[in-house]
Amino acid sequence: MATKGVLGNDPFQRGAAQRPAEPKKEKKKAAPSKASGKGGKSSAAPAEKTTPMSALSTAKTVQTRPVAKKAPKGRKSRRAAGVTEEEAHRLREPAAPETPRRRPPARVPVIDGSPDATQPQTPKEQEVDRVLATAAAVEAAEAAAEAAAEVAVETLLALQAQQSGRAAAPPGSLDETWNRELAAAVVAEAAEAAAEAVLDAALSAGSSIAAKEASALMDEERTIISAAFQEDEDPSSTFSAEVTVIDKAYAVSAEETEDVDAATTTLEAEQELPDTSRDEFPPQRGIPLSEVPPPPSVDREPPQEPFLTDQAQGQPEASAERAPGMFSLAKEIAVQALASASVGKALGTAQGLLSALGAGLGIGGSTALDEYGRDAELVSELQPLLDFLYERYWRVSVQGADQLPMGGAILVANHSGALPYDGLVTTLALVRERPDLREPRWLVEDQVFHAPVLGTLFNRLGAVRACPENAVRLLDEQRPVLVFPEGYQGMSKPFAQRYQLKRFGRGGFVKLALRTGAPIIPVAIVGSEETSPLLGRIPAGFLGVPYVPLTSPMPLPARWTLRFGEPIGLDGLGPDAAEELAEVQRLTERTREAIMGMLQALLRERRSVFAG
Amino acid sequence: MDATHAGKRGLRVAVTGASGDFGRLLLPLLEKDPAVASILVLDVARPEGAKVEYHRVDLTRHDAESELTEALTDRPVDAFYHLAFLFGRVRNGSVAHELEVMGTLNVLAAVGQARVPRLVVPSLTAVYGARGQHPALLREEAPLLGCPHSRFVSDKVQVEGQVRVFRERHPHTRVLVLRFAPILGPTVNNPATRMLKRPVVPTLMGFDPLWQALHEEDAARALHRALTAHEDGEFNIVGQGVLPLSGLIRQAGGRPLPLPGPLFRAALHALDTVGAAGLPIALLDYIHYSWVADGERAESSLGFIPIHHARDAAAALRRS
Repeated sequence: MATKGVLGNDPFQRGAAQRPAEPKKEKKKAAPSKASGKGGKSSAAPAEKTTPMSALSTAKTVQTRPVAKKAPKGRKSRRAAGVTEEEAHRLREPAAPETPRRRPPARVPVIDGSPDATQPQTPKEQEVDRVLATAAAVEAAEAAAEAAAEVAVETLLALQAQQSGRAAAPPGSLDETWNRELAAAVVAEAAEAAAEAVLDAALSAGSSIAAKEASALMDEERTIISAAFQEDEDPSSTFSAEVTVIDKAYAVSAEETEDVDAATTTLEAEQELPDTSRDEFPPQRGIPLSEVPPPPSVDREPPQEPFLTDQAQGQPEASAERAPGMFSLAKEIAVQALASASVGKALGTAQGLLSALGAGLGIGGSTALDEYGRDAELVSELQPLLDFLYERYWRVSVQGADQLPMGGAILVANHSGALPYDGLVTTLALVRERPDLREPRWLVEDQVFHAPVLGTLFNRLGAVRACPENAVRLLDEQRPVLVFPEGYQGMSKPFAQRYQLKRFGRGGFVKLALRTGAPIIPVAIVGSEETSPLLGRIPAGFLGVPYVPLTSPMPLPARWTLRFGEPIGLDGLGPDAAEELAEVQRLTERTREAIMGMLQALLRERRSVFAG
Repeated sequence: MDATHAGKRGLRVAVTGASGDFGRLLLPLLEKDPAVASILVLDVARPEGAKVEYHRVDLTRHDAESELTEALTDRPVDAFYHLAFLFGRVRNGSVAHELEVMGTLNVLAAVGQARVPRLVVPSLTAVYGARGQHPALLREEAPLLGCPHSRFVSDKVQVEGQVRVFRERHPHTRVLVLRFAPILGPTVNNPATRMLKRPVVPTLMGFDPLWQALHEEDAARALHRALTAHEDGEFNIVGQGVLPLSGLIRQAGGRPLPLPGPLFRAALHALDTVGAAGLPIALLDYIHYSWVADGERAESSLGFIPIHHARDAAAALRRS
């Protein structure tokens, strides 16, 4: 099929389940209504679809004398048919296997009605035939709509299955309803346009009966469409179904108008040609969907009478032009439908991640930083992701957070994991568990703070470079300050040495506590080692970092447990003791032992690394 | 005799570099200030102004010191603003060095000889340098590490060293050193404005250091406030808030273009070798590490509170 290549990247076709079943149904749906008076119906599907129109036009050419005049019309109608065919293809993909079986009854009258439509010569006969043809068209449309509805339901089911497989979150009401509303509006408009076309065609014959019938049919069609729409829930497939319906209606009306031409005018060849060119690019028709005129009432028609032929001719062409526009909209709708609340949340998260990446790369351009470099905007943008990681992914449990004293405090924790998520998670835990405390900050060593991207990003999330000046300043602001005395060594220990504390530097945090009087609180963090196990190191001095850790690209879903211990007693030592190395060492060692004890207890209590 | 003891006759102020950026910012405020009786301009060009008394002095000449002393003994002043520093594009670095370092030596000698009660010297927060080991906020007592590659910054560091020595030798002179964050505004022209006025500003990929910016109006107010301040010493004069470099660039209407560090460095060095100055190499430090100065002392001691946020300062640049 020639159109297949084009349709190959159609979003509607992606994930289509029952493709092979399609051609049959399409044959039944598209061919009978259109291929009225010609016998080549049993040929292969592709030939079948194009031949009806060409056969029709040739038939008309025979019928009417001026060949020059008829040729463009034939082209036109073929173009209309081509679009229909395309739509039919699009529609075809999600089709249910059983739909074809239910079509035949609807099709029968079409076959009966259409062959006559091309033949008659007298105006009376023409009228009757036209009405018949309209009826046939509407019936075909109805059939198509029903089929499409069924298809749509199936597609929806498939889509929902896919979605639920992808994201566990429940479908949000807001997005979906909005999408449905939009789709409904579009469908209604399309239906109106179709009805208009049918009506025009009928009016072009000049018979009020036909017009009435057409308007009646229009109403009918609308009800069908709305029924179809209510029946199914996937707006995109409904929409494509409707478009098919509409196009079929147009195709039929195109035939009719040509009949009218043949019968009423014979000498319009010169005037028709410019019309054709205009029809090929009708800008005011094709572009704004919302500006589609309301369904024409009968009283609005009379002024159009003098230009009836032109008008009637222009209509189907316009529809053919409009169809691609509608389809792009339909695609949009499909995208929107996919973006239901769960997906919407994911998209929001993705956007947060993107802005985080932007901030990391240095193109964020944020203007809401505090003096340490924390970006409140970015943090709030990332909040959904952080919440997800905290609650669902890492399932952080916190013990002993209520023991934390008010005001400044030095939280001393074990450092672990190839990527230092621990500081971030601990500050998140503090913000959640102890909202009464001032917003905590964590100190990171230079190797992380000055690492490209990662350091910048951490800085925007609230990390502060570890140095005494910063720590004193933060403590003066009565903030809890999280420090990792193991420092860089703690981060770079291999997975085999997980949860084994390295030496605690030179006891800077003890000196800090002695000088500022802030309490030292030991913190044990379990889970970070398994979240990003350090499996190896790739030297990367040229990047400005000592090595690039070889770890899992995504953080692993290990369970996290944080335990805040009792404050370490400073034994009443004053600021002077900060200069006494022995005292500092003793306190450092005591803190280290406290953390070690908590770590071992937590590891003993832990039943599973990932489950639970 | 201090500026604050000037009594009814009003303050007499001497200004060097009155036609520079700082001079043009300060002089209108001095003209408007009813406490200022006269402005003795010691410069190579005469500025407009009702209170201006002009005395032509070329600070780059070897005999500048005697001329200055002569002028100051003729018309004793209560305060001396030494604003003769170059911020524009400098073609000849040695002339700039003569003016800034040697000129300052001449000025300090003359001021010491004339026993001027108050001396105000502007400097830059860039003299702290941008280093990885800096704390989040630099206080005035932080060492002046400067930027070894940059004549512009090194000269300012040298000037600060001279001023510090002068302060120790002349305790009767109240010396105020105002370290300005990058001054942005429609009328000023300095390396920061030149960088930020580009439509595309190359930055280091993966780094987005914190910058500060000072609106030119705030800079003018700070200079003016130094005339009557009771404290002396160094003050960081910074605008409200900090911005990441990318935010500053965007606020100024440009777009940051992150380049990988090694590539950027190689390109800059190549350009420098060829002689085509794209961006000063000195800038590399400042677009790599944060250099945020703490303006707390200026607020508490100098009484200077910035009105404009850094983003307003950058936006003012866009409108110019």
